[in-house]
Amino acid sequence: MIALEGVTKTYTRPGGDSVEALRGVSLSINRGEMVAILGTSGSGKSTLLSVLGLLDVPTGGRYLLDDADVSSLAGDAQARLRNARIGFVFQAFHLLPRTSALQNVELPLLYSERSSLDGLARKALESVGLADRMKHTPEELSGGQQQRVAIARALVNEPDLLLADEPTGNLDSRTAGEILDLLGALNAAGRTVVLVTHDAALAARCKRVVRIEDGRIASDEVNAVNVVNA
Amino acid sequence: MGRFRLRTLAMAAGSFVGITALTVVVSAGGAAERRIQATGRHHFGESSILVMAGGAPLMSGPRGEAARLTLDDAEALAREAPGIESWDPQQVLPGAPVKRGDATATARVLGASERAPLVWSRGVTQGVFFDAAAVAQAARVAVIGETVARQLFGNEDPLDAEILVRNVPFRVIGVLEPFGTDIHGMDRDAEIVVPISTAMRRLLNVDTIVAIKLLVRDPSRVDEAAGEVRRILRERHGLAEGQKSDFSMVTAILVKKMVARVQRVLIVFLPLVAGISLLAGGAASAALMLASVSGRVSENGLRRAVGARAKDIGLQFLLETTLTTLAGGLAGLAVGGGLALYVIRRFHLEGGLSPLAVALGLGLSLAVGLLAGVLPARRGAALAPAAALR
Repeated sequence: MIALEGVTKTYTRPGGDSVEALRGVSLSINRGEMVAILGTSGSGKSTLLSVLGLLDVPTGGRYLLDDADVSSLAGDAQARLRNARIGFVFQAFHLLPRTSALQNVELPLLYSERSSLDGLARKALESVGLADRMKHTPEELSGGQQQRVAIARALVNEPDLLLADEPTGNLDSRTAGEILDLLGALNAAGRTVVLVTHDAALAARCKRVVRIEDGRIASDEVNAVNVVNA
Repeated sequence: MGRFRLRTLAMAAGSFVGITALTVVVSAGGAAERRIQATGRHHFGESSILVMAGGAPLMSGPRGEAARLTLDDAEALAREAPGIESWDPQQVLPGAPVKRGDATATARVLGASERAPLVWSRGVTQGVFFDAAAVAQAARVAVIGETVARQLFGNEDPLDAEILVRNVPFRVIGVLEPFGTDIHGMDRDAEIVVPISTAMRRLLNVDTIVAIKLLVRDPSRVDEAAGEVRRILRERHGLAEGQKSDFSMVTAILVKKMVARVQRVLIVFLPLVAGISLLAGGAASAALMLASVSGRVSENGLRRAVGARAKDIGLQFLLETTLTTLAGGLAGLAVGGGLALYVIRRFHLEGGLSPLAVALGLGLSLAVGLLAGVLPARRGAALAPAAALR
């Protein structure tokens, strides 16, 4: 499904010096996999996720999504792909404040080209177990519930790729476990899940762990046991 | 927008103030202008020359001490100046106590000739105006304005009743045509007109008059007549070359100049003020919206992540700014329209809410919103999604 071929990413700082965040990453992820990308802060893991999510354009190399080269697509075409095929879950949830859970989940539909959108947001919220919290604003929800709303938002357009950036970073360990279980369940239902984290214990609960160091892939291992409880 | 109530309100307030001011100015200003022109026509036709005692120019301070305009002057002018159709001398008692039994009023008492209805285009609605004989005999007869009639008589018939003006008894013989408020805000129905001779001898005990109004037969020759009037009066008053006149004159041309000056204020200056406040409102809106763009970086990043294109983000900011200023403009239009209608009614101006004001209000608040939204929209659209989410 995903194939990165020698992807590099170089940022130019305002001062003029450049930072090589990715120094030639080649990686392929198959449909239905659940992959953890493990790395320390500054290792390039977030940049890798941005490239995978079409939020950032690689400086060099190729990014094939279902065999189509998307690394050189125009901004609008990338936006369309993000909307239809990719769901994002962030550490900070990024919910719109003072806006109901339902309206938050409906946000991607605003930019969707699908014709029938009725009930999708409701269905997505039900699928993450928040059927009774639709009218609540983020301020009225716990951290775990907020992240569930964010996951429902990622799911509303029924994308086949789910990208999660430290999705449990702002949660206590019990809630973190629940969120991880939810991601596992979504993976079990057929979605490809890529999870970025600095937490080795969390990464260890995914079937495949890609360790990234200094902009390069340091290791790519498959865990013997899939520890996520689907 | 509902999520940023204070900011939205502040933004709307900018266009609200501007559009309110603009609506009031354009509507009430236009009405005032029509009123001034109507009054000017009514009172001061093209063929009029007004001569006033004292050298002070029109609409300025008290008349000079040397003021000495007499009935003889008036008669001489009517006789010697070319093409004079009619004329009316005036004496005035600005605020006189008027009584009828227990009822009292304060009225402006004017002394005039029997030609006043023609010369000032103001006749009577009841009874009659006094005639030449009444003026010759200094008869104690009075024609009263509607306000005076109401204050002294209520619903009773004032005709043939006796009133006391400064304790001098007068018989009411007529009621003046209603006039309303003049451009100085004076109620011209709180007036009493009596024969000029009666005013001079019995009320004021003076041998001078304050003004003469002359009607020229041919309006195109007013200037010529005015020149003659000036020459004759200066000669009669023994004024040497270079000496200042002890009287002043107003002609239709001067009134036109005055109206033009008022128009300049109404048409240029006031809309300028309104425009500046609108501009300031727009600048404030733009600044607030820019602050909002910086404050909503992560929201923009998120919108981009879930599929918004750069232009969607730009459009959103543009739309938010425009809708907000438009809402402020609509509110301004409503409040300004209300104020304008109040002013128009209160000051008896002509006309109502100007369609121009409505069009300007809507158009300008829309334009201000669009202009104010452009920069924030570009700034918002230019954000890189990955950077915005960090």
